[in-house]
Amino acid sequence: MAVVPQTARPEGRSSSSFWTVARRDSLAGFLFIAPQLIGITLFVLIPLCLVFWYSLHEWNVLANTFSYTGATNYQMLLEDPNLPSVLGATAVFSAGLVIFNLSLALLLAVLLNQKLAGITIFRTLFFSPVVVSLVAWTIVWGFLLQKNGGINGVLLVFGIEGPNWLREPVTAMISVIVVQVFKNVGLNMILFLAALQGVPNELYEAARIDGAPRFKQFRRITLPLISPTILLTSIITIVGSLQVFAQIAVLTQGGPGLTTTVLVYYLYQQAFQFHFFGYGSTLSIMLFAIVVVLTFAQWQMRKRIVFYES
Amino acid sequence: MAEVTLSNVRKSYGAVDIIHGIDLGISDGEFVVLVGPSGCGKSTLLRMVAGLETISGGEVRIGPRVVNDLDPKDRDIAMVFQNYALYPHMTVATNMGFSLEHRGGSKAEIAERVKWAADILGLAPLLDRYPRQLSGGQRQRVAMGRAIVRNPQVFLFDEPLSNLDAKLRVVMRGEIKSLHQRLKTTTIYVTHDQVEAMTMADKIVVLNGGRVEQIGAPLELYDRPANQFVAGFIGSPSMNFLNGTITAEGFAAPGIVLPLPAAAQVHTGRKAVYGIRPEHFALDENGVPAEIILVEPMGSETQVTMKLGETLATGVFRERVSLSPGATIRVRPDLDNVHLFAADGGQRLN
Amino acid sequence: MKAEFSPRRRVFLYGLLCVLLIPFVFPTWWMVTSSVKPISDIFAFPPQLVPERYDWTTYSKVFELQPFVKQYWNSAYIAALVTVGTMIVSSMAGYAFARIRFPFANAIFMVVLLGLLIPSEVTIVPLFQMFLKAGMVNTHWPLILVPIFGAPSVFATFVMRQFFIALPAELEEAARVDGLGRFKIFRKIALPLARPALASVAIFTFLHSWNLYLEPIVFLSSADKFTLPQALTQYTDAYGGPMWNIQLAAATLTALPVLIVFIIAQKQFVEGLAHTGLKG
Repeated sequence: MAVVPQTARPEGRSSSSFWTVARRDSLAGFLFIAPQLIGITLFVLIPLCLVFWYSLHEWNVLANTFSYTGATNYQMLLEDPNLPSVLGATAVFSAGLVIFNLSLALLLAVLLNQKLAGITIFRTLFFSPVVVSLVAWTIVWGFLLQKNGGINGVLLVFGIEGPNWLREPVTAMISVIVVQVFKNVGLNMILFLAALQGVPNELYEAARIDGAPRFKQFRRITLPLISPTILLTSIITIVGSLQVFAQIAVLTQGGPGLTTTVLVYYLYQQAFQFHFFGYGSTLSIMLFAIVVVLTFAQWQMRKRIVFYES
Repeated sequence: MAEVTLSNVRKSYGAVDIIHGIDLGISDGEFVVLVGPSGCGKSTLLRMVAGLETISGGEVRIGPRVVNDLDPKDRDIAMVFQNYALYPHMTVATNMGFSLEHRGGSKAEIAERVKWAADILGLAPLLDRYPRQLSGGQRQRVAMGRAIVRNPQVFLFDEPLSNLDAKLRVVMRGEIKSLHQRLKTTTIYVTHDQVEAMTMADKIVVLNGGRVEQIGAPLELYDRPANQFVAGFIGSPSMNFLNGTITAEGFAAPGIVLPLPAAAQVHTGRKAVYGIRPEHFALDENGVPAEIILVEPMGSETQVTMKLGETLATGVFRERVSLSPGATIRVRPDLDNVHLFAADGGQRLN
Repeated sequence: MKAEFSPRRRVFLYGLLCVLLIPFVFPTWWMVTSSVKPISDIFAFPPQLVPERYDWTTYSKVFELQPFVKQYWNSAYIAALVTVGTMIVSSMAGYAFARIRFPFANAIFMVVLLGLLIPSEVTIVPLFQMFLKAGMVNTHWPLILVPIFGAPSVFATFVMRQFFIALPAELEEAARVDGLGRFKIFRKIALPLARPALASVAIFTFLHSWNLYLEPIVFLSSADKFTLPQALTQYTDAYGGPMWNIQLAAATLTALPVLIVFIIAQKQFVEGLAHTGLKG
């Protein structure tokens, strides 16, 4: 037998009866989550309760009034003459954004999934706006979309007189949607690309042997197989679209009129420009309710439309 | 080194019992294999000895100490995992020395121990590599190196060869065995492969459904299985079983009467199971008739599936005889190797 | 749908890709080139794709009109702190939720996930009041504390948890046998292996903080406290109209460093953001 260099033996420490492995683990677990849990309590749960509490009050900071008014703010919400157009703008913006974003992302992903030399360069370039500072991106587009800006300049070269994009109701809405889509479509594109690459090649080979034409392969194989990703990206994009603020603030300030005043921007105006904190809180509660309902509805839809979960 | 003693060890998850009170004594330096079908509780039992699973009842001793409430690190054991569990971000040398770092060894001491272990396992040229740069067999060796470097009181192996291909498995089997012969450290080894159990163990523990079916030396289990489960589990191809009745003329199975050893006469009239291993049939003019269903020549031997009366049975013959399906041959069971089990409960009768 | 293409098809695909690329790449080009044009040329017709005359004074004006260096520093150090802080908080919490069994773990996780459902705009009013009471309005504390500990880090925690769940349990068991306690297992085994996930968390946290706009304009009121996105919009003339070329110069200074880092490390960026994916 080899001469074995000896190592110290651990002492037979009889662990105290209270600090069992399970108890020590519980303690470790709580210590590990403590920063997050305290943070969530402080910066999410308490504010969420407060925002509800505020929404029951008439509170004007400038006038220094804070009085309990029960459901008055909610009454006001229902009677707010601006609300229909604000909700309308929010709906149009979100719907337009989601549809345009997802279809463009899918188109780009399909194109980038082709076997072409230099395709990663294209991928990088399509993705690049994601890392460009949001406000910088918005400022450039604001500049391009001026009446005498770059876009109308190019149009004029072809003899077309472009509109004053940001000052006319329909084009203003289209503009904010488009600017936002080009900024962030790269993210969804990458998610779709990953999903496309996850579809086994044999399925396409089998479909080709079965004689299915390309568009049919796409509709009958690709779309069903990537449907979980489509659902995921649509949830993210919708919830994200409800939070769009900087673009509106920089490009249109909600105008012309109220045409691009989405809920978040309206909330900001009421609370921080007009100092109606109580009513602003009521709008916050409504925003929260909308996000919860939409998220829940989309999870429910998952059972219907998603064919295949990986 | 140390002995390991399990007394009435139990494990339950909520109301479900996984291990039903196991008693097992392992003497110093012994190589014990826990074997059984998947879900029999063998890995759970090993992990209870390691301290990775809590013990619901009973007592585990390593040496003189009761270790039930000790952390794995305080039990002075080392473990080789099924997927090796090598730390991917550390070199082979760091992997092997890692446990010593946490036991307050000096750098020189650790290096010396690592070198000692690496020399034994032929890992010296690989010390600066990362696990992803190693082949399966090399990873296996590093995992073993990590275990022996600490010179623990007990080695625990959890299906360590199941991820290797068949050829390498045979090689590593030999290496583990010779390592044990060299270090003489008490070893508990879990496998589902009865060939591994037979070839490596000093003592085999056959587990089934969280209970011990039999404990014994490999050949003891092969020659005198305590019950029908062990008989069927140990040995490959596995033992043939025929249901029937013990009579004065022999064993009356459906469509055939098989010869019985004389000692079996005390059980005359009893319903029983007749067990005979494939290798214990001989070709004999005076044997019982058997219709050939399938012939599988292996080169060194020929495996034959045949019909004994109405029951399918397997025979293995060393002779090269030309046999063809549909033909009838005559075979004679070796009476010294006939096993009789109770029809109810499967306990051994002879 | 991968297949070899005929030359004609290939030309068509490249052409399509290039056309689609225009709105993604042109704005950045336009931003950089217009920032060095004299004010008289920036709305010139026909549009000058390449500047015909250069005016570099726009860049010096960026620094003259506002404490731009200070603002740059504000954005940079806030983003750095938030990134490091989020990595620590989220990796610890993510590890605990994935790996440690402790009472009410699932219930607490559900509560934490609530953070994902609450846009920061919902809680901005009470947060403003809380920080006002704490005397922290017009300081950088809200921009540091809320992202690290509040809702924005929940997503990071979720990403880290998903990563740690996939880490083989055997590695930790081996570490326990090797004599490591919980904290050491986390620091020596789990965390070093989590580098890819941590990198993703770092990237999207940095971008998130760097892009933050609503919070700075709510919480900050003096120019030397401003962060970059907020500062960019402040280059206005006496009538409140934007001084375009100076805004564009400041925007260029804001966007270009991140863009350059991205080009260098594009693989990590794209893959990192793809597998965590979800925020921009």
